[in-house]
Amino acid sequence: MALMPKRVKFRKSQRGKIRPRATRGNTVSYGDFGIQVLEAGWVTARQIEAGRIAATHFLQRQGKVYIRIFPHKSITSKPLETRMGKGKGEPEAWVACVRAGTMLYEIGGVEENVARQALARISAKMPYRCRFVKRRHEM
Amino acid sequence: MESGTINAEPRTQLGSKHTRRMRKSGKMPAIIYGHGEKPEPITIDAHEAENLLDHHSHVIELSLNGKNSNFLIKSVQYDYLGTNPIHLDLMRVDINERVQVNVEIELRGTAKGTEEEGVVSQLLNSIEVECLLTKIPESIRASIADMDVNDDLLVKDLILPEGVTAITEGDEQVAICRIPSVVEEVEEGEEGEEAMPEVIGKPKEDEASDDDK
Repeated sequence: MALMPKRVKFRKSQRGKIRPRATRGNTVSYGDFGIQVLEAGWVTARQIEAGRIAATHFLQRQGKVYIRIFPHKSITSKPLETRMGKGKGEPEAWVACVRAGTMLYEIGGVEENVARQALARISAKMPYRCRFVKRRHEM
Repeated sequence: MESGTINAEPRTQLGSKHTRRMRKSGKMPAIIYGHGEKPEPITIDAHEAENLLDHHSHVIELSLNGKNSNFLIKSVQYDYLGTNPIHLDLMRVDINERVQVNVEIELRGTAKGTEEEGVVSQLLNSIEVECLLTKIPESIRASIADMDVNDDLLVKDLILPEGVTAITEGDEQVAICRIPSVVEEVEEGEEGEEAMPEVIGKPKEDEASDDDK
Protein backbone atom coordinates (compact mmCIF):
# COMPACT_ATOMS: atom_id res chain seq x y z
CA MET A 1 0.00 0.00 0.00
CA ALA A 2 1.23 3.46 -0.82
CA LEU A 3 2.70 5.46 2.03
CA MET A 4 0.74 8.24 3.72
CA PRO A 5 0.64 9.79 7.19
CA LYS A 6 -1.55 8.11 9.84
CA ARG A 7 -2.67 11.40 11.39
CA VAL A 8 -2.46 14.95 10.06
CA LYS A 9 -3.22 18.31 11.57
CA PHE A 10 -4.67 19.66 8.30
CA ARG A 11 -5.95 17.62 5.33
CA LYS A 12 -4.89 20.12 2.69
CA SER A 13 -1.66 22.06 2.38
CA GLN A 14 -0.47 25.01 0.32
CA ARG A 15 1.87 24.28 -2.56
CA GLY A 16 4.98 25.71 -0.88
CA LYS A 17 8.39 26.34 -2.43
CA ILE A 18 10.66 23.78 -4.01
CA ARG A 19 13.91 24.26 -2.11
CA PRO A 20 17.02 23.65 -4.21
CA ARG A 21 19.71 21.87 -2.21
CA ALA A 22 19.61 19.33 0.63
CA THR A 23 21.52 20.17 3.77
CA ARG A 24 20.49 17.04 5.63
CA GLY A 25 19.40 13.54 4.67
CA ASN A 26 22.06 13.64 1.95
CA THR A 27 24.44 10.93 3.19
CA VAL A 28 24.26 7.13 3.19
CA SER A 29 23.31 6.45 6.82
CA TYR A 30 21.70 3.01 7.13
CA GLY A 31 22.85 0.78 4.27
CA ASP A 32 26.08 0.53 2.30
CA PHE A 33 24.88 1.99 -0.99
CA GLY A 34 22.27 4.56 -1.85
CA ILE A 35 20.48 6.44 -4.59
CA GLN A 36 20.63 10.22 -4.51
CA VAL A 37 18.33 12.55 -6.40
CA LEU A 38 20.04 15.31 -8.42
CA GLU A 39 17.04 17.59 -8.94
CA ALA A 40 14.53 19.10 -6.53
CA GLY A 41 10.79 18.46 -6.66
CA TRP A 42 8.00 16.15 -5.50
CA VAL A 43 8.07 12.33 -5.44
CA THR A 44 4.61 10.78 -5.09
CA ALA A 45 3.76 7.92 -2.74
CA ARG A 46 3.02 5.74 -5.79
CA GLN A 47 6.48 6.38 -7.23
CA ILE A 48 8.08 5.58 -3.87
CA GLU A 49 6.10 2.33 -3.68
CA ALA A 50 6.96 1.45 -7.30
CA GLY A 51 10.64 1.90 -6.50
CA ARG A 52 10.41 -0.27 -3.40
CA ILE A 53 8.63 -3.07 -5.30
CA ALA A 54 11.16 -2.91 -8.17
CA ALA A 55 14.08 -3.27 -5.75
CA THR A 56 12.60 -5.98 -3.51
CA HIS A 57 11.54 -8.09 -6.51
CA PHE A 58 15.05 -7.86 -7.93
CA LEU A 59 16.78 -8.61 -4.64
CA GLN A 60 14.62 -11.69 -3.92
CA ARG A 61 14.88 -11.46 -0.11
CA GLN A 62 18.62 -10.68 -0.21
CA GLY A 63 19.81 -7.64 1.74
CA LYS A 64 17.66 -4.85 3.12
CA VAL A 65 16.09 -1.84 1.41
CA TYR A 66 15.71 1.40 3.38
CA ILE A 67 13.34 4.14 2.18
CA ARG A 68 14.72 7.50 3.29
CA ILE A 69 11.80 9.74 2.23
CA PHE A 70 8.16 9.91 3.35
CA PRO A 71 5.20 11.60 1.63
CA HIS A 72 4.03 14.11 4.25
CA LYS A 73 2.39 16.56 1.84
CA SER A 74 -1.11 16.17 0.40
CA ILE A 75 -1.84 17.30 -3.14
CA THR A 76 -5.38 18.28 -4.05
CA SER A 77 -7.08 18.38 -7.41
CA LYS A 78 -10.49 19.35 -8.73
CA PRO A 79 -12.65 16.78 -10.55
CA LEU A 80 -12.87 16.97 -14.35
CA GLU A 81 -15.49 19.20 -15.97
CA THR A 82 -15.96 21.25 -12.81
CA ARG A 83 -16.33 25.00 -12.85
CA MET A 84 -13.67 27.04 -11.09
CA GLY A 85 -14.31 28.26 -7.56
CA LYS A 86 -16.26 26.46 -4.81
CA GLY A 87 -13.12 26.05 -2.75
CA LYS A 88 -9.99 23.92 -2.88
CA GLY A 89 -10.21 20.41 -4.35
CA GLU A 90 -9.98 17.16 -2.43
CA PRO A 91 -6.66 15.45 -1.58
CA GLU A 92 -5.70 13.11 -4.43
CA ALA A 93 -2.11 12.17 -3.73
CA TRP A 94 0.63 12.32 -1.13
CA VAL A 95 4.11 13.52 -2.04
CA ALA A 96 7.55 13.80 -0.49
CA CYS A 97 9.38 17.07 -1.11
CA VAL A 98 12.94 16.24 -2.18
CA ARG A 99 15.89 18.54 -2.68
CA ALA A 100 18.92 17.95 -4.89
CA GLY A 101 21.17 15.62 -2.91
CA THR A 102 18.42 13.89 -0.88
CA MET A 103 19.08 10.18 -0.38
CA LEU A 104 15.97 8.34 -1.61
CA TYR A 105 16.73 4.68 -0.92
CA GLU A 106 19.56 2.72 0.65
CA ILE A 107 20.54 -0.93 0.34
CA GLY A 108 22.61 -2.96 2.77
CA GLY A 109 23.80 -6.55 3.04
CA VAL A 110 24.47 -7.15 -0.67
CA GLU A 111 27.45 -6.90 -3.03
CA GLU A 112 28.04 -3.66 -4.89
CA ASN A 113 27.11 -5.02 -8.33
CA VAL A 114 23.78 -6.35 -6.99
CA ALA A 115 23.07 -3.05 -5.23
CA ARG A 116 23.88 -1.13 -8.43
CA GLN A 117 21.40 -3.19 -10.44
CA ALA A 118 18.66 -2.89 -7.80
CA LEU A 119 19.13 0.87 -7.47
CA ALA A 120 19.15 1.28 -11.26
CA ARG A 121 15.67 -0.30 -11.27
CA ILE A 122 14.54 2.19 -8.63
CA SER A 123 16.08 5.03 -10.62
CA ALA A 124 13.89 4.10 -13.60
CA LYS A 125 10.78 4.60 -11.45
CA MET A 126 11.82 8.03 -10.18
CA PRO A 127 10.65 11.27 -11.80
CA TYR A 128 14.09 12.94 -11.52
CA ARG A 129 17.71 12.17 -12.39
CA CYS A 130 19.36 10.04 -9.72
CA ARG A 131 22.84 8.68 -9.09
CA PHE A 132 24.39 5.76 -7.24
CA VAL A 133 26.47 6.56 -4.15
CA LYS A 134 28.52 4.55 -1.67
CA ARG A 135 28.85 5.06 2.06
CA ARG A 136 31.55 7.59 2.97
CA HIS A 137 33.77 7.12 6.00
CA GLU A 138 33.23 9.87 8.57
CA MET A 139 36.35 11.27 10.27
CA MET B 1 49.32 5.44 6.75
CA GLU B 2 49.76 7.82 3.87
CA SER B 3 50.32 11.54 4.26
CA GLY B 4 51.75 14.14 1.90
CA THR B 5 52.96 17.70 2.38
CA ILE B 6 50.53 20.38 1.27
CA ASN B 7 51.32 24.06 0.99
CA ALA B 8 49.13 26.23 3.19
CA GLU B 9 48.79 29.97 3.44
CA PRO B 10 47.31 32.00 6.28
CA ARG B 11 43.81 33.27 5.42
CA THR B 12 43.24 36.95 6.05
CA GLN B 13 40.00 37.54 4.13
CA LEU B 14 37.24 35.79 6.02
CA GLY B 15 33.52 35.46 5.30
CA SER B 16 31.34 33.62 2.79
CA LYS B 17 31.97 36.04 -0.10
CA HIS B 18 35.75 35.57 -0.02
CA THR B 19 35.45 31.85 0.69
CA ARG B 20 33.22 31.38 -2.37
CA ARG B 21 35.74 33.18 -4.57
CA MET B 22 38.55 31.13 -3.05
CA ARG B 23 36.78 27.84 -3.82
CA LYS B 24 36.22 28.96 -7.42
CA SER B 25 39.97 29.50 -7.80
CA GLY B 26 40.71 25.90 -6.70
CA LYS B 27 41.51 26.58 -3.03
CA MET B 28 39.85 25.25 0.10
CA PRO B 29 39.40 27.00 3.44
CA ALA B 30 40.50 25.22 6.61
CA ILE B 31 41.01 26.04 10.26
CA ILE B 32 43.72 24.95 12.68
CA TYR B 33 43.00 24.76 16.41
CA GLY B 34 44.05 22.93 19.57
CA HIS B 35 46.83 22.86 22.19
CA GLY B 36 45.41 26.00 23.84
CA GLU B 37 46.57 28.26 21.02
CA LYS B 38 44.52 30.68 18.95
CA PRO B 39 42.56 29.23 16.01
CA GLU B 40 44.26 29.97 12.68
CA PRO B 41 42.26 30.19 9.43
CA ILE B 42 44.28 28.90 6.45
CA THR B 43 43.92 28.13 2.74
CA ILE B 44 45.06 24.91 1.08
CA ASP B 45 44.96 23.51 -2.44
CA ALA B 46 41.58 21.78 -2.93
CA HIS B 47 42.84 19.13 -5.35
CA GLU B 48 45.68 18.02 -3.08
CA ALA B 49 43.35 17.87 -0.08
CA GLU B 50 40.81 15.78 -2.03
CA ASN B 51 43.54 13.30 -3.02
CA LEU B 52 44.58 12.99 0.60
CA LEU B 53 41.00 12.39 1.76
CA ASP B 54 40.50 9.76 -0.96
CA HIS B 55 43.29 7.75 0.69
CA HIS B 56 41.37 7.76 4.02
CA SER B 57 44.22 9.67 5.61
CA HIS B 58 43.76 10.96 9.16
CA VAL B 59 46.95 13.04 9.28
CA ILE B 60 47.90 15.92 7.02
CA GLU B 61 51.35 17.47 6.77
CA LEU B 62 51.24 21.17 6.07
CA SER B 63 53.98 23.56 5.11
CA LEU B 64 52.81 26.75 6.80
CA ASN B 65 54.99 29.87 7.08
CA GLY B 66 58.02 27.85 5.95
CA LYS B 67 57.56 25.24 8.68
CA ASN B 68 56.37 21.66 8.21
CA SER B 69 54.05 20.20 10.85
CA ASN B 70 51.49 17.43 11.20
CA PHE B 71 47.81 18.00 11.91
CA LEU B 72 44.98 15.63 12.69
CA ILE B 73 41.94 15.91 10.40
CA LYS B 74 39.08 16.34 12.89
CA SER B 75 36.19 16.86 10.50
CA VAL B 76 35.46 17.39 6.83
CA GLN B 77 32.51 19.33 5.44
CA TYR B 78 31.15 18.31 2.05
CA ASP B 79 28.89 20.07 -0.45
CA TYR B 80 25.17 19.25 -0.74
CA LEU B 81 25.82 16.25 -3.01
CA GLY B 82 28.56 14.93 -0.73
CA THR B 83 31.14 14.85 -3.53
CA ASN B 84 33.51 17.75 -2.95
CA PRO B 85 34.99 18.66 0.43
CA ILE B 86 34.44 22.36 1.16
CA HIS B 87 36.13 22.83 4.54
CA LEU B 88 38.61 21.05 6.81
CA ASP B 89 38.99 21.18 10.59
CA LEU B 90 42.59 20.45 11.58
CA MET B 91 43.90 19.90 15.09
CA ARG B 92 47.40 20.63 16.34
CA VAL B 93 49.05 17.41 17.57
CA ASP B 94 52.46 16.20 18.67
CA ILE B 95 53.96 13.29 16.80
CA ASN B 96 54.18 11.27 20.05
CA GLU B 97 50.70 12.15 21.24
CA ARG B 98 47.95 9.58 21.67
CA VAL B 99 44.86 10.69 19.76
CA GLN B 100 41.25 9.58 19.59
CA VAL B 101 40.03 8.93 16.06
CA ASN B 102 37.21 7.14 14.26
CA VAL B 103 38.44 4.19 12.22
CA GLU B 104 36.39 2.42 9.59
CA ILE B 105 35.41 -1.24 10.08
CA GLU B 106 35.69 -3.45 7.00
CA LEU B 107 33.83 -6.76 7.04
CA ARG B 108 35.62 -9.49 5.11
CA GLY B 109 34.26 -12.76 3.72
CA THR B 110 30.77 -14.19 3.29
CA ALA B 111 28.91 -15.22 6.42
CA LYS B 112 27.96 -18.89 6.85
CA GLY B 113 24.44 -17.78 7.75
CA THR B 114 23.80 -16.29 4.28
CA GLU B 115 23.45 -19.86 2.94
CA GLU B 116 20.42 -20.24 5.25
CA GLU B 117 18.81 -17.01 3.96
CA GLY B 118 20.41 -14.90 6.72
CA VAL B 119 21.22 -11.26 5.97
CA VAL B 120 24.28 -9.59 7.44
CA SER B 121 23.63 -6.04 8.60
CA GLN B 122 26.54 -3.82 9.59
CA LEU B 123 25.27 -1.70 12.49
CA LEU B 124 28.54 0.03 13.30
CA ASN B 125 30.63 1.33 10.44
CA SER B 126 33.42 2.86 12.47
CA ILE B 127 34.74 2.70 16.01
CA GLU B 128 36.52 5.27 18.11
CA VAL B 129 40.05 4.19 18.99
CA GLU B 130 42.97 5.69 20.87
CA CYS B 131 46.46 5.29 19.48
CA LEU B 132 49.68 7.10 18.62
CA LEU B 133 49.40 9.62 15.81
CA THR B 134 51.86 7.63 13.74
CA LYS B 135 50.00 4.36 14.22
CA ILE B 136 46.45 5.23 13.18
CA PRO B 137 45.15 2.19 11.25
CA GLU B 138 43.59 2.88 7.85
CA SER B 139 40.76 0.47 8.69
CA ILE B 140 39.99 -2.42 11.03
CA ARG B 141 39.24 -5.63 9.18
CA ALA B 142 36.96 -8.24 10.69
CA SER B 143 36.24 -11.65 9.21
CA ILE B 144 32.58 -12.69 9.23
CA ALA B 145 33.11 -16.05 7.52
CA ASP B 146 32.19 -17.99 10.70
CA MET B 147 29.08 -15.93 11.36
CA ASP B 148 25.94 -18.08 11.55
CA VAL B 149 22.27 -17.03 11.69
CA ASN B 150 21.52 -15.13 14.95
CA ASP B 151 25.24 -14.54 15.58
CA ASP B 152 26.51 -11.10 16.57
CA LEU B 153 29.91 -9.51 16.01
CA LEU B 154 30.72 -7.23 18.95
CA VAL B 155 33.34 -4.51 19.33
CA LYS B 156 35.24 -6.67 21.83
CA ASP B 157 35.53 -9.42 19.15
CA LEU B 158 37.50 -7.13 16.82
CA ILE B 159 41.22 -7.76 16.54
CA LEU B 160 42.91 -4.38 16.91
CA PRO B 161 46.49 -3.68 15.84
CA GLU B 162 49.17 -3.38 18.55
CA GLY B 163 49.04 -0.12 20.50
CA VAL B 164 45.45 0.60 19.48
CA THR B 165 42.72 0.53 22.14
CA ALA B 166 39.00 0.78 21.51
CA ILE B 167 37.07 3.58 23.23
CA THR B 168 33.69 2.43 21.91
CA GLU B 169 31.99 0.10 24.42
CA GLY B 170 32.88 -3.57 23.91
CA ASP B 171 29.25 -4.74 24.04
CA GLU B 172 28.18 -2.70 21.03
CA GLN B 173 27.14 -4.73 18.00
CA VAL B 174 29.23 -4.28 14.87
CA ALA B 175 27.32 -6.69 12.64
CA ILE B 176 24.43 -9.12 13.01
CA CYS B 177 23.20 -12.00 10.89
CA ARG B 178 19.42 -12.47 10.94
CA ILE B 179 16.72 -14.03 8.78
CA PRO B 180 14.54 -11.11 7.62
CA SER B 181 10.91 -11.27 8.73
CA VAL B 182 8.47 -11.71 5.84
CA VAL B 183 6.07 -8.83 5.53
CA GLU B 184 2.85 -9.80 3.77
CA GLU B 185 2.02 -7.36 1.03
CA VAL B 186 -1.47 -5.94 1.37
CA GLU B 187 -3.21 -5.69 -1.96
CA GLU B 188 -4.22 -2.20 -2.85
CA GLY B 189 -7.92 -1.47 -3.15
CA GLU B 190 -9.48 0.13 -6.17
CA GLU B 191 -8.73 3.74 -6.92
CA GLY B 192 -10.55 6.17 -4.71
CA GLU B 193 -10.86 3.60 -1.92
CA GLU B 194 -7.65 4.77 -0.28
CA ALA B 195 -8.20 5.62 3.38
CA MET B 196 -7.56 9.19 4.39
CA PRO B 197 -5.46 10.00 7.45
CA GLU B 198 -7.15 10.96 10.68
CA VAL B 199 -7.29 14.74 11.27
CA ILE B 200 -5.95 15.70 14.69
CA GLY B 201 -8.50 17.60 16.79
CA LYS B 202 -11.48 16.73 14.59
CA PRO B 203 -13.95 14.07 15.81
CA LYS B 204 -14.35 11.03 13.55
CA GLU B 205 -17.48 10.87 11.36
CA ASP B 206 -19.08 8.06 13.46
CA GLU B 207 -18.48 9.94 16.72
CA ALA B 208 -19.83 13.18 15.24
CA SER B 209 -23.07 11.46 14.12
CA ASP B 210 -23.50 9.88 17.60
CA ASP B 211 -23.22 13.31 19.19
CA ASP B 212 -25.93 14.71 16.89
CA LYS B 213 -28.39 12.09 18.15
